[in-house]
Amino acid sequence: MNGYGGHILRVDLTNGKLTKEPTPAGLARDFIGGRGFGAYFLFKEVPKGADPLGPQNKLIISTGPFSGLMIPGAGKCDFATKSPLTGGYASASMGGHFTAEIKYAGIDSIILEGISPKPVYLFIDDDKIELRDAGDLWGKGTFAVEKHFKEKLGEEFQVAVIGPGGENLVPYACINHDYGRQAGRGGVGTVMGVKKVKAIVIRGTKSVHVANMDAYRAAGKALYKACKDAEFLAEWTRYGTTVVTSWCDEVGALPTRNFSAGSFEGGKGIYGQTMREKIVITDKGCFGCPSPCGKYSHAKKYNAYVEGPEYETIGLLGSNLGIDDIEAVAQANWLVDDLGIDSISTGNVIGWAMECYEKGILSKKDTDGLELNFGNAEATFALIEKIAYREGIGGLLAEGVKSASAEIGKGSERFAIHVKGMEQSGYATHNATAMLLAYMTCDVGAHHNRSWAITYDLQVGRELVVPEKVARVIWLQNFRPMFDVLGSCRLQWVELGINRDLYLPALEAITGVNRTWEDLEKVGERIWNLTRMYWARENEGFGRTWDMPSPRFYEDAPKTGATKGQITKLEDVNKLLDMYYEQRGWTSDGLPMPDKLESLGLTAVVA
Amino acid sequence: MPAYLRPTSALRVYIDGKDEVEVEPGRSVRETLVSLNIKPELIALVVVAGEQKTKDYVIQDGDIVKVLAVIGGG
Repeated sequence: MNGYGGHILRVDLTNGKLTKEPTPAGLARDFIGGRGFGAYFLFKEVPKGADPLGPQNKLIISTGPFSGLMIPGAGKCDFATKSPLTGGYASASMGGHFTAEIKYAGIDSIILEGISPKPVYLFIDDDKIELRDAGDLWGKGTFAVEKHFKEKLGEEFQVAVIGPGGENLVPYACINHDYGRQAGRGGVGTVMGVKKVKAIVIRGTKSVHVANMDAYRAAGKALYKACKDAEFLAEWTRYGTTVVTSWCDEVGALPTRNFSAGSFEGGKGIYGQTMREKIVITDKGCFGCPSPCGKYSHAKKYNAYVEGPEYETIGLLGSNLGIDDIEAVAQANWLVDDLGIDSISTGNVIGWAMECYEKGILSKKDTDGLELNFGNAEATFALIEKIAYREGIGGLLAEGVKSASAEIGKGSERFAIHVKGMEQSGYATHNATAMLLAYMTCDVGAHHNRSWAITYDLQVGRELVVPEKVARVIWLQNFRPMFDVLGSCRLQWVELGINRDLYLPALEAITGVNRTWEDLEKVGERIWNLTRMYWARENEGFGRTWDMPSPRFYEDAPKTGATKGQITKLEDVNKLLDMYYEQRGWTSDGLPMPDKLESLGLTAVVA
Repeated sequence: MPAYLRPTSALRVYIDGKDEVEVEPGRSVRETLVSLNIKPELIALVVVAGEQKTKDYVIQDGDIVKVLAVIGGG
C-alpha cells in the first residue's frame, strides 16, 4: 500500500513469538493509521473486561501515512492501550524520530501482547527482529538507557524506553524517547512496564512507496514553504508552547495551587520569556519539523540538562504547585522524565497533596516528614522520587488523584482535579465553558489536545453556554486528532496557521487516495464514537456522570486573579452536556445511538 | 514617522483584511488593540524590533508592532 510500511508486527511476549502480517487495506481505508489503528485494534483485540495490567491487554504503537515522510512534523506515532489509570481508552502521541524508523522498517503498527517472564527489550533492525535480555537495564533511568543504546548501537537507532515509574507500575507512567519526548498520558508506560519491556530500539532503512512522486514532492514543498513563510515562525520557534504561559496567567487559565485559581502572582518567574532568557540553550525539533517547539535547557542551580519545560509541565509542576522558579521546574521536569512518569498527572496529584496538607487533611506524619507547602520545590523533588518508587506517601500518590482522594476522603474528592480518573492538564476552567466541555468529553480523560477550545471561549465570550460553542468543541474533537491519525504534528496548523487544505494533495500523492477534510473529519468522528463505545463496554454504568468535571469548577470560584469570583454554574455544566450529546447523536446518558453508529460504519465493528 | 500594528492573520478581519494598519504613537498596545475592537486577551505575544514587549508598552514613532494571537488554531 502506498504510504504505508505494509505490515503489522505482533510481539507475543509470553511465548517470545514474533509475527508479521500485511496491513489490511480496509483498515487503512476506514481508520487511516496512527490513532485510528490503535483504537481499532484495542476495541477488536483486547477482550471485554481485560485487566489493564494483565496479559490480555495490548500496547499498540502505530504510525500514519505521513509518518517519516516529507511533511512538516511527520514524526508522530500513537500509543494505545487499555488505561491502568482510568480503565478506559488511552492514547498518547509521541514526537521525535521513533515513528520514522518504524515506517522505514516496513511496519505500520507494533502490537505488544502477553507478558514477558523476564525484562527484555525489543530490537528491530529492518527485518532482524529480536527480543533481547534487558536484565541489566531494569531499574535504570530513561536517560541512561537511551544513552546506553546510542553508544552501543549507533545514533541512527531510535529508542523508546520506560523508567522506574513504569517498572513499578505507577498508572501514569510514560514512555520516553529522544531524551525528552514522551508518550505521556494514560499509563502507556505502565503497560510496557508490566509486560517487562524496558525499551524498543529500532532502525529502518527501507523505502516508502508513494503513489505519485512528483506530486508528493510538490505538495511537501508547498507545505514547508507555507511554514517558512508564516509571519510568526520566528516567535513561535523562539518560545514554543511556553508562549502561552504569560497569556494563560493574564486570562486566568494558568493552573495555580491545585487549580484553585487561574492566575499566579509568581507567574513572571516561569513565563516563556523568562525561561528563554534564563535557561534555554537551543531549540530542538522532531523529525521533519520546520518550527521546533522543543527547548533544550540547562538549569544551573541544579545542573539539570533537560528538553523543556514546555507549557504543560510549567503549568502543572510550576504554578500549580506554587513554584515560581523556572530552574526548579526544569529540575522537576528532569526528574519525571528520567523516572518515566507523566509530568501532568504528577504535578496534578502533588498539587492535590499540597492542598490536603494546607487543609490539615494530611500532616507531616502522613508525608514522611515532608512539609508539603505550596511553593516547596525540594519537597516536590522528593515526592516525584517517592511516587516513582512507591515509597511512603508516594505509594498513595502513585495511584492517581482519583484513587488517592477516594482513599483519603475527608472531602478531598471535591478538589481532586480529574475527569474519568485522568488528571486535568494545564488549563484552569472556572470560566471557560468550551474548554471545560472539552475536558469533560475528551476521549482519554481530562486532556487538552483533542480540543483546545479555550481561545474560542475568549473570542465569543467565555461564560456563554450556546450551541455554537458545543459545535466548535465537537468539530475540534473530530478534526484535531486527525493529525495523530495521519502521523504528523498539528502545531504547524495551530501555531503557524498554515492552510489545512495544503495537506490534502500531499495525502493523495502519498496514498493515491483522494480525500476531503469532510471525509477525514468523518474518520475522526468514527474513531471518536468507537472510543466512546470502548469506555461503555469496559465500564459498567458508564454514562453521563463520568463526564462530570471536578466540582472545583462549579463550586469554588477563585479568590484571586483574572477569574476572581467567576464560576461555571452546575446547571450550565449539565446544559453543556445536553447540547453535546444531542449534537453528537448520543442518548441523554451520553451513549452513541444505533443510527449514529450505522452512519459511521461502526455497527459491525462494535457488535 | 508613522507606526504600524501587524497582527496575526486570524486578526486581520479587524483591519479590513490588510496585513498591517497605521496606528497612533504614544498609546499603549492595549489601548491600540481596544481602539481596533481587538480583545487584548486574545494576544499572547507582542514583539517590537525582535524584542518581546508587554501590552502596556507605549508605541513609539516608527515601530512595527507584531501581535500574535492564539485564536488561529484552537
